[in-house]
Amino acid sequence: MSNSIYDTYETVIGLEIHVQLATASKAFCADDASFGGDPNTHVSTISLGHPGTLPRLNKKQVEFAIKLGLALGSEISLYNAFDRKNYFYADLPKGYQITQDRKPICIGGSLEIEVGDTKKTVRIHHIHMEEDAGKSMHDQDAPHSLIDLNRAGVPLLEIVSEPDLRSAEEVDAYMSAMRRLVRYLDISDGNMEQGSMRCDCNVSVRKNGATALGERCEIKNLNSMRYARRAIQYEFKRQVDLLESGGKVAQQTLNFDPASGITSPLRDKEDAHDYRYFPEPDLPPIVLTKDYITAIEANMPPLPWALLRQFIEEKALPLYDAKLLTEEKETALYFLALCAHYPDSKAISNLVINKILPYCNEMSLTIYEFPLSGERMAAFLQLIDSGKVSNTIAYQRLFPAMLQEQDKTPMQLAQALNLLQTDDADFLTTLVEQVLAEFPDKVEAYRKGKKGLIGFFMGEVMKRSKGKAAPQTTNELLRKQLEG
Amino acid sequence: MAKFTSLPQIQTAIAAGTLTCEALVNNYLKQIEASRQLNIYLEVYAEEALAKARELDQRYQTDPDKVGRLFGMVLSIKDVLCYKDHEVTGGSKILTGFKSLFSATAVERTTAEDAIIIGRVNCDEFAMGSTTENSFYGPTRNAADPSRVPGGSSGGSAVAVQAHTCLASLGTDTGGSVRQPAAFCGVIGMKPTYGRISRYGLLAYGSSFDQVGVLSHSIEDAALLLEIMSGPDDYDSTASQKAVPPYTQQLNFSGKTRIAYLDTALNHKSLDPEVREQCQNLIGTLQQAGHTVEGVDFEYLDYIIPAYYVLTTAEASSNLSRYDGIRYGHRSTHATDLLETYQKSRTEGFGAEVKRRIMLGTFVLSAGYYDAYYTKAQKVRRLIQEKTVEILKNYDFILMPAAPSTAWPLGENINDPVAMYLADIFTVQANMVGIPAIAIPVGQHSNGMPIGLQFMANKFKESELLAFAKWVMEIG
Repeated sequence: MSNSIYDTYETVIGLEIHVQLATASKAFCADDASFGGDPNTHVSTISLGHPGTLPRLNKKQVEFAIKLGLALGSEISLYNAFDRKNYFYADLPKGYQITQDRKPICIGGSLEIEVGDTKKTVRIHHIHMEEDAGKSMHDQDAPHSLIDLNRAGVPLLEIVSEPDLRSAEEVDAYMSAMRRLVRYLDISDGNMEQGSMRCDCNVSVRKNGATALGERCEIKNLNSMRYARRAIQYEFKRQVDLLESGGKVAQQTLNFDPASGITSPLRDKEDAHDYRYFPEPDLPPIVLTKDYITAIEANMPPLPWALLRQFIEEKALPLYDAKLLTEEKETALYFLALCAHYPDSKAISNLVINKILPYCNEMSLTIYEFPLSGERMAAFLQLIDSGKVSNTIAYQRLFPAMLQEQDKTPMQLAQALNLLQTDDADFLTTLVEQVLAEFPDKVEAYRKGKKGLIGFFMGEVMKRSKGKAAPQTTNELLRKQLEG
Repeated sequence: MAKFTSLPQIQTAIAAGTLTCEALVNNYLKQIEASRQLNIYLEVYAEEALAKARELDQRYQTDPDKVGRLFGMVLSIKDVLCYKDHEVTGGSKILTGFKSLFSATAVERTTAEDAIIIGRVNCDEFAMGSTTENSFYGPTRNAADPSRVPGGSSGGSAVAVQAHTCLASLGTDTGGSVRQPAAFCGVIGMKPTYGRISRYGLLAYGSSFDQVGVLSHSIEDAALLLEIMSGPDDYDSTASQKAVPPYTQQLNFSGKTRIAYLDTALNHKSLDPEVREQCQNLIGTLQQAGHTVEGVDFEYLDYIIPAYYVLTTAEASSNLSRYDGIRYGHRSTHATDLLETYQKSRTEGFGAEVKRRIMLGTFVLSAGYYDAYYTKAQKVRRLIQEKTVEILKNYDFILMPAAPSTAWPLGENINDPVAMYLADIFTVQANMVGIPAIAIPVGQHSNGMPIGLQFMANKFKESELLAFAKWVMEIG
């Protein structure tokens, strides 16, 4: 495949990501905006589009949009207006969606992504606010369609990128970075399974080195990163095959079927919707002040890339550790909190990555629910560092014991379980003598020059001491016996 | 029983012990019965109104201070205003049987002050029309001559007041729908500044034009109702935050004022000579009384109607999308899929005029036409706003006929929509600009029909407008 025709083409991808905002109430009424609930229970006359109802703005969504814009370096529009996007669908109660067509709240900006070792900046075209539609279910009661309007009116941000992405891997990285960012900002849970984050992909292909964009197709409603990846890969092949066989790519809106893995046309350009956008007369324009934006800026949470740099530069962590710890804001902040209790940040990183995170995952806890305090964790690391408990023993036996008996300090537990290391010469000498007596041929081999066997003897002594033998003293005793 | 023409008359009679709310409501119910052939009411809340009247009488007996400011006010409401647990159909088949789950803010505020709602009155379908002939429930007739239209779209409200079936009525005014029928029926019709009264619970037609208005016999009643209904509302972001002045306390006009009339309007070819004469007579009277009354240029008069119909139909085409047969209202029984459900439910549910306006509005918003129509009309609206505001910098009021003619016979213009639209030529300006306007009866045509004239004032000048209109009616 090295000289495959596919290698002579590149994919050009622009993304429209829809992020559901984690506001308590809906975009234009007081209904509960949370996910789930029995069908059609998070509704009111307003979200049902009853005659005579009017929208009223939930200001939280504006704040959330500004937060995202500031994080991405967008220009924040001081003058914002809403528009109506008109179309008929059973899950769209008013027959129009309130959106921002002319004056989006955020313009420009960018997000850095990383694929392998390559960094890349993806430019943002704009971000606008809009409301979500309800949900149609066509397969639960065929031939009827069921409509759940709980989601109707939930606030969304649509983040439109420039066509800067070149592969499914880059799309993956971009989506992951955006997901991480919205979670850091606490503006969305970024949960793709529950539909809090969805994307439409605009895909076109062109010959390597070409500068003009090819005709693009839009793949709608990709609600998992895996689907997005498969859809893009499929669409790339389809378009290249089409061009290579002398055909032309037609501008279309496509649907991706995860079962078959193929895309199929929803509609052609000719019968594309005419949404008849016009200014929403029920909502006056929102005029933001610089002070308002400055106040939001002053209260921005830490951003993932800032923490990553801090962990590498200030905490001297390896890149691998820093990336893992900044994957989720909670983990990163937890790590920082532990750092306040104990000076060795690498030791803390090891503990978080190898013990605390796996434990929380297994128990389905958030890291804040991890039951042991920072002081306890510091005392635990202190025991290892001071050589009182071996690293292995500490991780394998003491840590589980601490979770079992949370009222006891690590020292108390180490004593109770007899885990403290010993450099008691009498005790160790006895063990050393036992071992040397047991393996005379190995002793001889060592004496003939196979010095590497010291490790073997160490291991045997350690085993017999149940891990408590202080390595330094043991080593000295062994050498004395073997060489002296 | 005497025919009351103001709330103070009623409250005085009750205080004197010669009247009770119950007797009053009974009397209005009798009037409603007697005027059945006019087709004013779509629904009469007889039992409910009587029960409320008896409850109020009892409360008043116990303590006369325990009743609200609208004690004794018997109201009818136009069928585009929501009233909790009552039907609201917008005069349309598509909402037949639909009960609202909430009350319009305007309605809510009147009932909170103890107004009695006696019934729901007819109107043009979704307030689209100038004669009330566009109601699915049949036309309403003018009480002065039942062979003639009452005007519209609040025709039911106008005749309800004209025929003394209630003391006042709540209407809505998108392009003259309160003032024109008031003029046709010889009553007062007041439309306040856009945003003065919350639109929450008003079935939207042209959202940036719609305003709740009052039809009454007296300025005092209009002022009181306005005072009570106006003011900010959490449920309408376009409602003004401005404090509401006590209109009822500011009804005494004195001094000299400056009034403009539009030469283009007074010389308009569509204007009935007798209506023009009434207008000129009033101008003379006002001048004699020492006021400055001057003709001014207004070159945009003939652009008002086209721009208005582009903008309102655009908004209407979107506002009426919710009537789709899915969640409530009429759903066709002949549809086999979603698209057919929309097509058939809406085809069966909407009348001809509503369909015409939805199609027109859809067209002007379409890709490729938007700029030529919608954007252009927006520009025209801005020009008209600027020019009108400029006039109102130099003058306190603008005097206009309320309509080019008096009420015409039923069926006369029904097949000529453009002729019908042109009948709004003098009223639409106030809605385009968002300023308050009031129509008052000034006389009678030789055909026996009432003639009404209107005054407009600058935004939020309701007090001045009401006081001056009251003074004009008194000297007239």
